[in-house]
Amino acid sequence: MGKKALIYVVLIALALFYIFPIYTLLNTSLKTDEDLKYGPVAPTHQVFFGAYTKAFNLIKKQLLNSAVITVFATIISSILGSMSGYIFSKFRFKGDRVVFLVLVLGFYIAPQSILIPLVIFMGKIGLFNTYLGLILTHVAYGMPITTLLFRNYYEGLPQEIVDSSWVDGCGTFQTYTKIILPLSLPGFAVVAIFQFTNIWNEFLFGLTLTRGVTSQPVTVAVANLKGTTVAAWNMICAGAAITTVPVVLIYIFLLKMIIKGLLMGSVKG
Amino acid sequence: MVVKNNIPSIVFIAPAIVLVAIFVYIFSGWSAWTSLTDWRIIGRMGKFIGIQNYIKLFAGDDIFRKCLYNTAKLIVLFIGITLPLGIICAIFLDLGVKGKGLFRAIYLIPLSFSFVASATMWGWMFMPDKGSINTLLRMLSLDFLTQPWITSTKQSIISVAIVYVWQFSGFATLVYYAGISSVDPDILDAARVDGANTFQRYVRVVLPLQKPATFTVLLILLMYSLRVFDLVWLLTGGGPAFSSEVLATYMYRVTFNQNLFAYGASISFFMFILSFVVIIIPVLIGTLKRMG
Repeated sequence: MGKKALIYVVLIALALFYIFPIYTLLNTSLKTDEDLKYGPVAPTHQVFFGAYTKAFNLIKKQLLNSAVITVFATIISSILGSMSGYIFSKFRFKGDRVVFLVLVLGFYIAPQSILIPLVIFMGKIGLFNTYLGLILTHVAYGMPITTLLFRNYYEGLPQEIVDSSWVDGCGTFQTYTKIILPLSLPGFAVVAIFQFTNIWNEFLFGLTLTRGVTSQPVTVAVANLKGTTVAAWNMICAGAAITTVPVVLIYIFLLKMIIKGLLMGSVKG
Repeated sequence: MVVKNNIPSIVFIAPAIVLVAIFVYIFSGWSAWTSLTDWRIIGRMGKFIGIQNYIKLFAGDDIFRKCLYNTAKLIVLFIGITLPLGIICAIFLDLGVKGKGLFRAIYLIPLSFSFVASATMWGWMFMPDKGSINTLLRMLSLDFLTQPWITSTKQSIISVAIVYVWQFSGFATLVYYAGISSVDPDILDAARVDGANTFQRYVRVVLPLQKPATFTVLLILLMYSLRVFDLVWLLTGGGPAFSSEVLATYMYRVTFNQNLFAYGASISFFMFILSFVVIIIPVLIGTLKRMG
């Protein structure tokens, strides 16, 4: 019995380690300026949303930017990944394994390695500081992982369904739209969630490919809150909490798919 | 029967291949070329100067050396804590505790936070005077345990490592848990029949089977520790006195704050080589082994 108790103590202690920072973030974000002097740990005396209003007004344009960029980049990279994952799973051609490997290994290259050319390139083609520039960037760097995830997903579909559709006279395209796509919904859910959370949370490309608020993502806006003159910790925490809401909601409600995505992308890589 | 190549299938993979070819590989090559020039002003081409930037980097740049040291320290601390923690948590969850799903959900929540949000949050946690950790310690009358955290040159990189552990240990737990629960129950039964107790079963039977899980976790953790930028930039700014400066923050500082593009590119390309040696080669070896 003592052993079981020890296990619970460790598991609960760890849970507290994970939750405590989140508690102080939320607790601080709900405090009035006056209440701040009691520190981040003491529970707020009243639930006050003023800091949220202030933070929201400072980052609402960037929230919209992030929403547009993330939604489009997620949709496009999921579709392109499904197309290439389908081919790499169900078709054989000369050098297919090498091409697949080289493509997927792109995932491991640090973004800093390509940052300078990326910024120059976006400037040259006129996409610096635009939604399109960021969408294109996120789609491009999403290709290795979306291809890998879809390839692994389609490996679970029998080769026969493709072959028989082929025998029926359907080509690559028709087989894809009529046979593969209708079976792809779970795959799309996993990949889209994975892409959405990564792109929504991304900071470095947002920082280097934008200037001013025109197309600046919300992560950069929240990072900048600290430097503003009205920087009170309750507002900074509220800003961080606002940006975290969409992703945490996804995590809580779609945990099973998140877990699937994390395991699919890594274990079988 | 496996369908052979045809034109439409090339069209299907073309977007992925073209995008990755340009944005990953051509751009990496472009970084490599830039690093061999003295380019520093936008609009004017740099002159070819050979490997001088690299000579400067390795022979004459104390901050770069600090970055290497700090990155190594971060890797040792971060992975040294996260891996065992992941294994222990996964085993504990596997021992049939109640509320397993809830624990797993809580452990994974930090993974959903952007580094911007976690840097904000932990910046607040680590503040020496008003921060949450020291405040909590004082409330518990444990004043002697309070630390200077991110304001100290000795603890800044440790603070970064703590946040990374917070963020990624749930991922390690998840992968190990999946690995442990997929162990064939027959093997465990056989061990039980042979008289192995719970502890022995895990150490002698289950853990040796976790090499693939360890490989996966190690790879992802290494990847994130080599490219760490957001967290360091926003939590410590690389300071104090460059005590938490890492390759990525230094590369950004040199390139975008000091406008030394070519010199920044040499750090960029060094990071490419590093990713290649530390991550890509092991992945390739692993893949080749699996394919026989």
